[in-house]
Amino acid sequence: MKRSVLLVGLTLLGLAQAQQTVSLVHSGAITGPTSDVGGPYAAAIEDYCKYANEQKLIPGYTLNCIVRDDQYQNPNAQRILEEALDRNKPAVYLGYATGAMLALKSLVQEVKLVTIPASAHIGLIDPPDNTYMFLPTSSYSEQVVALLEYIARQKKGAKVALVVNPSPFGRAVLDDARKAATQLGLSIVDVQEVGGNNLDNTALLRNLDSKGTEFIIHQNVAGPVANILKDAKKLGLDKKIKQLGAVYTGGNDLIRLAGDAAEGYLWASSYYTLDEDTPGMKLHRELAAKYNRGTLGQSHNYTAGLLAAAIAVETMKRALQRFGKIDNTTFYNALVGMNGPNSFNPGFVVKTANSPEIDFTKSEQTGGEGLRVLEVKGGKFVPITQPFTSTLFRKVHFGK
Amino acid sequence: MRNPWAQTGNYRTSYVQDTTIFATYREIVSVGVLLVALVLLPQFLERSQVLTLNFILIYAIAVLGLNITTGYAGLISVGQAAFMGVGAYTVALTAPYLPFYLTIPLGAAVAAVFGAVVGIPSLRVKHLYLALATLAFQEIFVWSVGRMPALAQGASIPVEMRNFLGYEIGFRNHNHFWYYVILFVLVLMVIAWRNLLRGKYGRALVAVRDNDRAADAMGMDPGRTKLMAFALGALYAGVAGGLLAYFQRSVVIEEFTLAKSVGFLAMAIVGGLGTVVGSLLGPAFIEYLRLSMERLSEWIKGNQAIQQLIPPGVDVASALLPLSFGLVIVLFLMFEPRGLYNWWRLVRSYFRTWPFKY
Repeated sequence: MKRSVLLVGLTLLGLAQAQQTVSLVHSGAITGPTSDVGGPYAAAIEDYCKYANEQKLIPGYTLNCIVRDDQYQNPNAQRILEEALDRNKPAVYLGYATGAMLALKSLVQEVKLVTIPASAHIGLIDPPDNTYMFLPTSSYSEQVVALLEYIARQKKGAKVALVVNPSPFGRAVLDDARKAATQLGLSIVDVQEVGGNNLDNTALLRNLDSKGTEFIIHQNVAGPVANILKDAKKLGLDKKIKQLGAVYTGGNDLIRLAGDAAEGYLWASSYYTLDEDTPGMKLHRELAAKYNRGTLGQSHNYTAGLLAAAIAVETMKRALQRFGKIDNTTFYNALVGMNGPNSFNPGFVVKTANSPEIDFTKSEQTGGEGLRVLEVKGGKFVPITQPFTSTLFRKVHFGK
Repeated sequence: MRNPWAQTGNYRTSYVQDTTIFATYREIVSVGVLLVALVLLPQFLERSQVLTLNFILIYAIAVLGLNITTGYAGLISVGQAAFMGVGAYTVALTAPYLPFYLTIPLGAAVAAVFGAVVGIPSLRVKHLYLALATLAFQEIFVWSVGRMPALAQGASIPVEMRNFLGYEIGFRNHNHFWYYVILFVLVLMVIAWRNLLRGKYGRALVAVRDNDRAADAMGMDPGRTKLMAFALGALYAGVAGGLLAYFQRSVVIEEFTLAKSVGFLAMAIVGGLGTVVGSLLGPAFIEYLRLSMERLSEWIKGNQAIQQLIPPGVDVASALLPLSFGLVIVLFLMFEPRGLYNWWRLVRSYFRTWPFKY
């Protein structure tokens, strides 16, 4: 009898102490096109997951991070997500590419799975099927409108050219940029599409110069922008035309690729830089060193991956506290409650006087709304503005 | 009279016999068994594996079309993905108003019209020059879609079908439902393909491919035949594009790029140009290769010991897929230009004549 009681007691104790598992799935371009962004992004998610498990950030739960390489192929992203839904029932999906995320919108809506993509295409949080899509930071469109506002403050009636990636990712910003430019009294003199094969940009730059372009805004990845910056310097146009860009154009990758031609380049980013002393950036340096990430750990895309994973883990923790369990439903409810006094401030992105670092509601699906303009000075990005939120973006995009 | 079940070869003594779809009873039975196996297959697979299977079957339809244009008529086309895109975008624009059994044929018809127009240069130019003409169409298509607000500038256009004759279609049965639709369409397209090629139009394709002047002298119209080859190839691509749109629930331009067109050519070459079996084996092989390389590159990326052996700045894992693709195509062209179909033929011949040597 005594032995049975002891056995039952031990079993119950074991069950009480047993770790439950909660899954997070990420698919991104670890290899293939844009892997310069996807590589550090995925590495950061892996590292944050290890950190979360080591630190037991979710009491009683082990975080099962499924990090897969979709090679920037939409069918692969779809397959990886469906595999995870069947086998692991994830509480959250950390997605990646614009095209794949747009294609998967109706699926994540149907399965009610919160999706936090690396892409900041505004169409992801626009209706229809947008209930479960949440952007960690401001959209590409908001970044470009903020850059136009910055230009308008520098020079009234300036002539601006837009150079965008030849893809939905690049074109995402065009409509809002045109509307904002009209309202700001700026003139958009040209829109050009430039991909990763732009080995010589002489014709492009001469053409823009002949139209009196004073500012070029890039919505692209770092490689094509670096080539344009180098050619502008070679042609002596670097002093005549000021170049600016949204989040994926800049960072240490751009400085590495463009060298001293990057000097003076302006970059709209929500992220703190690697040498800033915030809790998030301290953690960035600590994890990158601990897991020997080398150049991957020097990228702001590593910060972006950490932020996405941190939002996911914090939301899981809150779901457990509020609802006693973690699944896709409690995750969603916890995430949309992340606002006001419950906002999340991990120290990865800037906050403004009016908005906390990360907050979400059912209708406000952008986490960090603040951003700064940074300039390359002496081979590193230095903030030249205080954190601000675009005053015009919501008016031109949502009409409010 | 010979026992029809014990035939060891094709003994065709008349034109009618030569135009039969099935040469032997054994062929009828083996096709029947294959169909039953394909119908039962999803019951033994995970939902996500059915997804991969669906992609293979859709690509098989597109490759069947390419096998008319390139395999049979000998007209090199690197615009098959663009024709597929024409079908997909037609479906995306008409799906809110029409049922899928009308939108897909409509998409195919529009793609066929585009195919006939793109085929016009084939009346004047051949070989590499013709390939460049189709390449131009491929690039123009992607460029145009990227600049058309009506097509969301290449971003996603949702294509939803939640209900079919009262049958609810959702996440749990989406892949299976579309598997059976795609399989049904594939069977129809294969039958049509075989019917086309055993008749005079199919023979005209071969004649024009082998020598268009000789074909002309024999009373065929090489110009019309070439345009028909392009139109039919594009029609098949349009059907594949329409199915892809419904299956993926949206249309995004990234699915219809030059890389996809080159992929279809690779599938046709690896499978065996101008064959039905090759049209099925090619996509299956390439998709299997893609999955294998995905696992291998993930393993390389995750293996610290291997990473330390690779010089900094060299991304071996990223290079694996294009490298393996290129290598497979070169190896097939060098050592097995008749593709996987030839292996299938040899195996079949072995069993047909067993225990005697072929």
